[in-house]
Formats: sequence, structure tokens, C-alpha cells
Amino acid sequence: MTISKFLVAAAAISLSATAFAAGTHGGGHGHGAASGEPGKASEVSRTITVEMYDNYYEPESITVSPGETVRFMVENKGNLVHEFNIGTPEMHEGHQEEMMMMVEHGVIQGGKLNHDMMEMDMGNGQSMKHDDPNSVLLEPGQSQEVIWKFSDNSNIEFACNVPGHYQAGMYGDVKVQ
Amino acid sequence: MKSRLGSVLLSLLMSTSVIAGEYDLTVDRVEIDTGDFVKEGIGYNGASPGPVMRFKEGETVKINVTNNLDEMTSIHWHGLILPFNQDGVPGISFPGIKPGETFTYEFPIQQAGTYWFHSHSGFQEPDGAYGAIVIEPEGREPFRYDREFVVQLTDKHPHSGDRIMRNLKMMPDYYNREQQTVGEFFSDASKNGLMNTVRDRMAWGDMRMMKADVEDLQGFTGLINGKGPDQNWTGLFEPGERIRLRFINSSAMTYFDIRIPGLDMTVVQADGNNVQPVSVDEFRIGVAETYDVIVRPKDEQAYTIFAESMGRSGYARATLAPEEGMEAAVPQLREAARLTMADMGGMPGMDHGSMAGMDHGNMDMDSSEDMSGMDHSSMEGTDQSNMGGMDHSNMEAMDHSGMSGMDHGSMTMGKEDKSDPFYAKGSGLMPKAANGGKFLSYADLKAQDPLYEDREPTREIELRLTGNMERYTWSINGVKYEDADPIRLKYGERVRFKFVNETMMTHPMHLHGMWSILDVGAGQWNPIKHTINVNPGTTVYMETEVDEPGQWAFHCHLSYHAAAGMFRKVIIEGGPDSTQAKTDVIAEDGGEA
Repeated sequence: MTISKFLVAAAAISLSATAFAAGTHGGGHGHGAASGEPGKASEVSRTITVEMYDNYYEPESITVSPGETVRFMVENKGNLVHEFNIGTPEMHEGHQEEMMMMVEHGVIQGGKLNHDMMEMDMGNGQSMKHDDPNSVLLEPGQSQEVIWKFSDNSNIEFACNVPGHYQAGMYGDVKVQ
Repeated sequence: MKSRLGSVLLSLLMSTSVIAGEYDLTVDRVEIDTGDFVKEGIGYNGASPGPVMRFKEGETVKINVTNNLDEMTSIHWHGLILPFNQDGVPGISFPGIKPGETFTYEFPIQQAGTYWFHSHSGFQEPDGAYGAIVIEPEGREPFRYDREFVVQLTDKHPHSGDRIMRNLKMMPDYYNREQQTVGEFFSDASKNGLMNTVRDRMAWGDMRMMKADVEDLQGFTGLINGKGPDQNWTGLFEPGERIRLRFINSSAMTYFDIRIPGLDMTVVQADGNNVQPVSVDEFRIGVAETYDVIVRPKDEQAYTIFAESMGRSGYARATLAPEEGMEAAVPQLREAARLTMADMGGMPGMDHGSMAGMDHGNMDMDSSEDMSGMDHSSMEGTDQSNMGGMDHSNMEAMDHSGMSGMDHGSMTMGKEDKSDPFYAKGSGLMPKAANGGKFLSYADLKAQDPLYEDREPTREIELRLTGNMERYTWSINGVKYEDADPIRLKYGERVRFKFVNETMMTHPMHLHGMWSILDVGAGQWNPIKHTINVNPGTTVYMETEVDEPGQWAFHCHLSYHAAAGMFRKVIIEGGPDSTQAKTDVIAEDGGEA
């Protein structure tokens, strides 16, 4: 959860400290419990390919069983940077503020990720790395896998939290049954 | 260069192209009831606004327009890419449509999105001759919605367009109710000192302008889809649905600041073209522009669509509600905007020397800014990645241990910086969201999927937007339309237009027939538009790929500015066929604006 650490650092150096510092992300990825947890490759029951376009997913809906571990093969087939992130709508909303900051700091620039910026030490050993196990952030043409073990929480979406993309409709439903 | 071109040529060459849609429009005298007043006007198929024309990308449309008026008429398809002889500008594209005559337009639909149509004859458009165009794309759109509404705005005035023009010519401040009074002079004098106030008033007098000239036509009722504020046009929704609102500003003269208290709006299209989605609390829509936004009302309640005129002299209002008859609070108009000295930064012949001696602290400007007000260099080259104001390239070299000691107040991080680079610094028109949130800037608009490859322009053409408010003359490079030579462009070139606004009014510049690639500093992601706002005291650049033969209109879309001469004919020299010869047969008949 290095983004949230960065957030605290950024908030500390900005005037808008209170706006972000006390956010819902302070507790590391404890929020993962709500949507599931990182899965083990040995427990994967099936693989689902998710293609990311500008600005939508294919498919836009998936069905899983409670406790199922799924390998997502996520491919960015668009021309812009996109994210695949598993969480509740509230978690996505919180994450969107972090992603906004990444755009404002030039980490996400249209179709490019500025990796130097992501790696950069923001002070106190913190960075803007995007390395949560429930998500991947991909440039056009890149693909990466996410192995996720779902809980029985049915209020789950996979979503792209690059600013504006979720609002434009870049999310999909996870039906747990 | 692009695939669209092929299809135009093909349809020009092949008279056997398939007609997928045939439509009929009649141009009629109609009654317009705003709730505040009833007047006679002009409409289509018996109503103003006319119908929403729904086309499909890829089809060829045939539109039979029957003129039931006792005067010439025309229809211009605003923002559509089509053969020039279908563009509907009398004297440039065709002679016009005579009383009693039916003219058949026929052209291929090569684009998708929200557009509009209107008469290009006399003042028929301000008199009510306008309607909406919605084009469904061939493929899927880069956003999702459950339902959609056209939200078409206008500034309906009790006077006819002809009468308004006569009054403006006779007395340019005829419709300006916000003039500064003698009392205001004395209150300024006691606040700012007599000499500063006198100097301020003299500077404004020199420009034949008044501080309150944000809107030179006041006294209108704002309409949404033909309904006045009390008539309250209402769009119904189910809570949780995603709604696409297609905002079109069909006003003669009025810019609107639009918000829906309680809802974020995600802008997904500007002037019919997809942009990378950006969520805002409020946006300003210039005359003739369109913006498509997506909203998602989750609660079982009504929401007010509130469109306040830029000068705060009037508003339009509509409602989104789960049930007919529900309504939400209608906000108060905010305080009238006042132009500042920064807004006349572009005026030539101003005595900057004497101004430098003024006490800038007393003006409505950022006191930290120099009088020159605007920094053009920062405007044209704004690197979006650095909009936050930080120079990241230097950050790596920063001593992080010292960061806590920096003056972060000047770092403009996050949403703290509200300054829009498309306004003169310190401009009285600088927009601010009513809730303190995000106000859309041109700088936020980036193409979702750029139509053109980025390339160096072949040349630059400077267009100074000029005028004399005292005589109500409006012109380009100091020359009004009737005295001007056409602008000649060469087929295949990419021209960079430099708009320098030397007036104190905002001008929405509309080039017909070819896209205007607005330079927001985003390189290949610069958005394409059909109408480009140029604010007072600013310089704005746009580029055009000259990819359509023929001749086209290019003008300020404020009805009375276009009619007063801020208008040019553009002739495209060369081209893939003999279109050049055909332009000569067009009679100089009917109106031109």
C-alpha cells in the first residue's frame, strides 16, 4: 500500500493536508478483506481474460463463486493507461483520489506511465508505486496477471480508477453466486 | 491522411450512393412562449426548437427543406463534415432557399456525436430557427449510459433579431443594464482613491468599452429545449442510472455556466468529439459549442440543471427527476462578473507606460501579477503533465530532507489552483465553480482518439479579433467582412491560426467544413472542435488540416458580431477534383450570417 504512504507524505507537504491524510486507506490493505485476498497460483480454478479498451472492459461482467480463486489475464488493448482493480465501489472512490494525484504529478500521462516518478523517493522512503495485489496499472500493449481469491461479498466491481474512466463507465460487475 | 476523405470523394463521385435516411423539414412562422413573454418567431416542423435529427454514422442522408416563409432561408449543419455545397451558407455554399421552394440536402454522415443545425440567413437563428443533431456511432462509444437527453440552450429575447441589431448599431449599450453608475464611481473613489478611479475610467473610456460589457445583449429569458425557467423542462430517470446529457448552446449571444447541484458531471465529448473523460462540478459553454456529460443520480430526488449566463444577467433552468412534477431548489444568480484591466491586455494603443504607475493593488487583479497580465508563453506551451505547477525534472535533484521547509503554498498542488490558462490572469471572467470544486478548462480537453497525426503546421495566419464598441462594428484584422478579401488556404496544408483577441468580449470562432484542432499544449492529444472560444486579452492557437475543397464561412458565432462584420470567407485552392470551378456559380443571394 505504498500509494497511501505516499499520500500521507504528499499531504504533509501540501496545504491540503487534511483533505487526504485521514482517508480510508490509512489501514494498509486491510480493506482487501472486504473484496477477497491475493490468491495462490496453486488454488486457481480458472483463468479469465479481461481486455481493457478506451474506456471500457471486455467482458463487462463476470460471475464467481464465494471463495473462488481466479487468475485474471489483463491486457491493455487501448491507447491510454488503464487500471484493473478489484474492490467495492467505496474502495474505488477512495482510490480515485490517489489516481488523481498520480495524474497531477505526471505519473500517468495519457498513454504513458512515468516509472521514474513512481520509483522516486518522496522522502522517508515512500513512493508513488502502484503495486497493490488487487490491481494492475498498464500502459497500452502491456498485459499482466492478477490472482484473486474472492470472499462472499457481492458488492464488488472491477474498475479503472484513472481519473474520469470509472465515471465514464469503465467498470464491470462481479456477481458472486 | 485520413480515411474520412476517401468516403467524401467517393460520395461526390458516385451519384448512386445508397440513401439510408430521408427526412423532411419545413421552415415555419411559429409562436414562442417562454413563460415570461410570447413572441412570433421561426421554427422547424411547426416548433422552435425544431426536432432532434437522429442520424447514423455511415449513412447518407437526404433532407428535404421546404421554405414556408416569405423570405429566403437556409440550414447550416453546424459541425458536420460535408461537401461545401451542402453546408447551407447563402452566398458561400449555395444561393439559399427561396420562399415556397424545397431544397434537398444530401450528404454522407462521416462522424458521430452531438451537433445542431440552424438557419444561416439574417437573424432567423436568434428568432428561433435551430434544432439538435444526434449521430449514433458505428462502433461502441468509449463510455456507457442508460438514457440520454438533449439539453439545448438559447437566450430568447422579446425583440426580433433585426430590431436588436438596429438598436445595437444606434446605441451599443442599449441592452446593457449593468453599466457602472455615478454612485459606483464615488464609492470606487473613496475605496481606491480619486485619481486611480479617474485613471481607471479613462482607460475604459479610451477603449469604447465599459467594465460591465460581459454581455452586450441582456434582457433575455434562458430556455432549455424551448422551456423557460418556470416551464421547467424535466428529464425523468431511475435512481442509479447513468444519464448522458447532450448540452448544446444555440444562443445568439450568451455563454452559460452550467452546474447540477448534487451531481458530478463527467465530460466525455466536446463539440461532438470524444475527449478523455474529466469529472467537473461546473463548465462554461460558449455560443455554438456542445458538451456531452454523464451524470449518475443515485438518490430518489430531483436535481436542478442550472445554467447561469456568464454575465449573470439571466439563467436557464431544467430538472432531472424520478417523477414528473418533482423539483429541486433553484440557486440564486451569483454577483455579476466585471471585466478587469487584465481583460484589456490585448488592446493595442493602450498607454502601458502610464498604467505602470497605477496602483495595481486597487484593481481587480491578482496583485502579484504584472500589468501585462497574461503570459502568452505559458499559455501556448502548457505541458499538461506539469499543470500542477511542479517541475518534475528538477525534483529528482531536490534535497528531500529539505522539503518540509519549502513554501508549498506556491506549489499549487491538488485542486488548489483554480487559474485557467485560457483566461487573462486576473480576468474578471475567470470561472469559479459555485461549490468551490472543479471548473472545466479548455486545458482539460484531450482527444480520446486523435483523428489526425500530429505534424508541424505549414504556416501561421494571424487573425486579430477587433472591434469598435462605440459604433458596434466587429471585424477581423480591423477589416469587416464586406471590405475583406477571402482567406485562401491550400488543399493539403496544415494551417496554424493565431487568434489575438483585441476586444473586451469573448468570441466563439467557428470555421465551417474542417476541424479546428485546439492547441491546449497536449500535442497529439489536442482536441478537435468546431468552435473555439477566445477570451478577452488572450491569444489562442488552433490548427486546421485543410482537407476539404471548396469555400467555407469562418466567423464569430455571436449573431450580432457576425452580422457586424467579424466574418470571413475561406477559399480552398486546389483539391482532388474540379470543385474550384463550381464555386463560381454560387449567386450572392440572400443573407450571409
